[in-house]
Amino acid sequence: MALLLKTTRFVESQIDSFLDVVSDAAMTFQLAIEDYIHGRMEQFEERLAQIREFEHRADDLRVSVERFLYERTLIPENRGDVLAILESTDEIIDNIKDTLVQFSIEMPGIDPTLNDLWLQTTRASVAAVEQLVYAVRSFFRDLAAVNNHIHKVYFFEREADHIGEKLRRMIFGLDIHLSEQCQLRDFALHIEQISDDAQNVCDQLAIFAIKRQL
Amino acid sequence: MFYIYLLSGLYLGWSLGANNTGNIFGAAVETKMIKFKNAALIAAIFITLGAVFEGSGASDTLGELGSVDALGGAFTVSLAAALSITSMVRSGIPVSINQTIVGAIIGWSLFTKRLLDPQSVVTIASSWVFAFLLSAVIAFALFHLVRPLINRSKMHLIKQDLLIRYLLVAVGAFGAYALGANNMASIVGVYIPVSPFKDISIGGFYTFKGTQQLYLLGALSVVLGIYTYSHKVMKTVGKDIFRLSPVTALIAIFAESLVLFFFASRGLYNFLLRHGLPTFPLVSVSSTHVIVGAIVGIGLAKGGKNIRYDILGKMALTWIIAPILAALMSFVMLFVMQNVFEQKVQEETHYIFDRVTVTRIADDICDIALLSPVNGRSFTSEREIYGELKTQEELSRDDIVKVIAVSEVFPMEVSLEKLAQSGYIHSFNEEQLEIIKTLEGRSYRHKWELRDALEKHSVFESVKEPKTGLQKNHNKELDNLFSLLYHSFRPGTGKK
Repeated sequence: MALLLKTTRFVESQIDSFLDVVSDAAMTFQLAIEDYIHGRMEQFEERLAQIREFEHRADDLRVSVERFLYERTLIPENRGDVLAILESTDEIIDNIKDTLVQFSIEMPGIDPTLNDLWLQTTRASVAAVEQLVYAVRSFFRDLAAVNNHIHKVYFFEREADHIGEKLRRMIFGLDIHLSEQCQLRDFALHIEQISDDAQNVCDQLAIFAIKRQL
Repeated sequence: MFYIYLLSGLYLGWSLGANNTGNIFGAAVETKMIKFKNAALIAAIFITLGAVFEGSGASDTLGELGSVDALGGAFTVSLAAALSITSMVRSGIPVSINQTIVGAIIGWSLFTKRLLDPQSVVTIASSWVFAFLLSAVIAFALFHLVRPLINRSKMHLIKQDLLIRYLLVAVGAFGAYALGANNMASIVGVYIPVSPFKDISIGGFYTFKGTQQLYLLGALSVVLGIYTYSHKVMKTVGKDIFRLSPVTALIAIFAESLVLFFFASRGLYNFLLRHGLPTFPLVSVSSTHVIVGAIVGIGLAKGGKNIRYDILGKMALTWIIAPILAALMSFVMLFVMQNVFEQKVQEETHYIFDRVTVTRIADDICDIALLSPVNGRSFTSEREIYGELKTQEELSRDDIVKVIAVSEVFPMEVSLEKLAQSGYIHSFNEEQLEIIKTLEGRSYRHKWELRDALEKHSVFESVKEPKTGLQKNHNKELDNLFSLLYHSFRPGTGKK
């Protein structure tokens, strides 16, 4: 019994660590975008390196949890759902990293007049991811609270879409070359996509939460 | 010869192991919460324990329905019950061993022209419906108790999973114990009156009774059923009949186990009696119907959607069809057994209305004038006497039953040696044995003569007009002790 409880505690801590990493990655993404916009490129590259590290850790934790759940035949009824959530959440970190890598490679020129809109879009997307992390934690411990967090994810996703659209309109209103406009639009879409990903995980989570209800 | 005849009972046991274990562990195995090998081991151990230690509770009620007193009869009754199950299961109708065995015993009573006790039939039949409803109510209540508990506990999913696993094992073990206790009477209960097993004293500390040995054998056939066929059935039960989550499965199994236990435990029965509380009849009920009742309860607690009313309809139908089919089959097979294979399906019984019995009846039961249709005559069946006496309007059915009991010829010779040889000696205390010893060597022609001789002593004294449940239970226990004496002192018994 004590050994089994130790095992469950280990898996619980692995899942919690995984979600911590997702949350850290999202916040680091926000800081990295702020650094980029304010031209602190050295700091931006450091953030990117941190996120690469988070991505590796998240992968390792996810695989470790998967292996444990299968090897110990834990939560047979919900195992597929839990693994699907972890994998979908892991993809958000991948997207965060890919977006920053693109910034690092392409170095798009940001017009200072749009700085605020870029930051607002980023904050909305990151808030969506943070609420997703709360929702996933609640899925494991407090099922009744899941919908509350899911509702907030949907809110921030809409907010990110709304500000993102405004940003894209402003981009195409700038007096710059069309190719630069298209490049900036893609970056805006990349940032919006993070909140879309969070929303997609929530769609799954909402169904899984219904399945888990008695 | 007994062991060959016992085969049909063991076949029933095998089918209980194969079919009914799924009602306890089906959902847990199918949801992969418990591995089959673990479920089978737990079921095997606890069904055996339940059968050996509590199995006798439900057998008393079956005995009241008809005490099959010949090996050939017991074999045929079991076989008829088993074949009825097979034929109905093949038709896709969920049926239980209890219903068919009850039907088969009724068939035996009809064939042997015994009087059927309508009260026992009503008790048993109403218990099936009552057990189903009770299980639904318990599951409904448990659901409303467990859901807020789980929601409030905020326990991690992984920890909750582990806890439910342990609870499924514990509740499954309890369910298996209750199944063994409740259903063993249906499997080998009919063999009790003809069982050759004798009580064995283990080191003077514990007496392993003859009935317990018979139940152990029955339990082993159940275990065989579990290991050879139940895996397949568990998968079906866990998937097709109902689809439950581990938590709702736990609630359903717990409700089922409680109901099976309520209807099987003599300990609980005595406890309730002592405290003046209403008791549950000790009757064998169907684990299939009880688990379906629990699922209906959970379904209703969840709003009443997705309840499969077709299964409920079929089940209600079996409450009527299964006993009738088994009774018919039993009747026909007993006829074939007796007339084609020339096997004894009942002990020959004589009823005589001579000076001794008529005087006794006149003293205790009714006016001598009412016995005019039977006075001075002898009979070979209860039904014949009943046919003659029912014309007497002043005689109630109960009176006629008492008259028949007094007129039954049952020669016996009191012998402590015979009692020891029969193995039943351990059922009596020192004081009772001392009283029996004072009658050593005496012969009696009727059961009541021996009973009268013993009832003069306080240790054998019954309550004349029992009012409370406790008094009724005291009389019932005395009846059981007297039955052991009749069985032991009959010529030809005790020296097998």
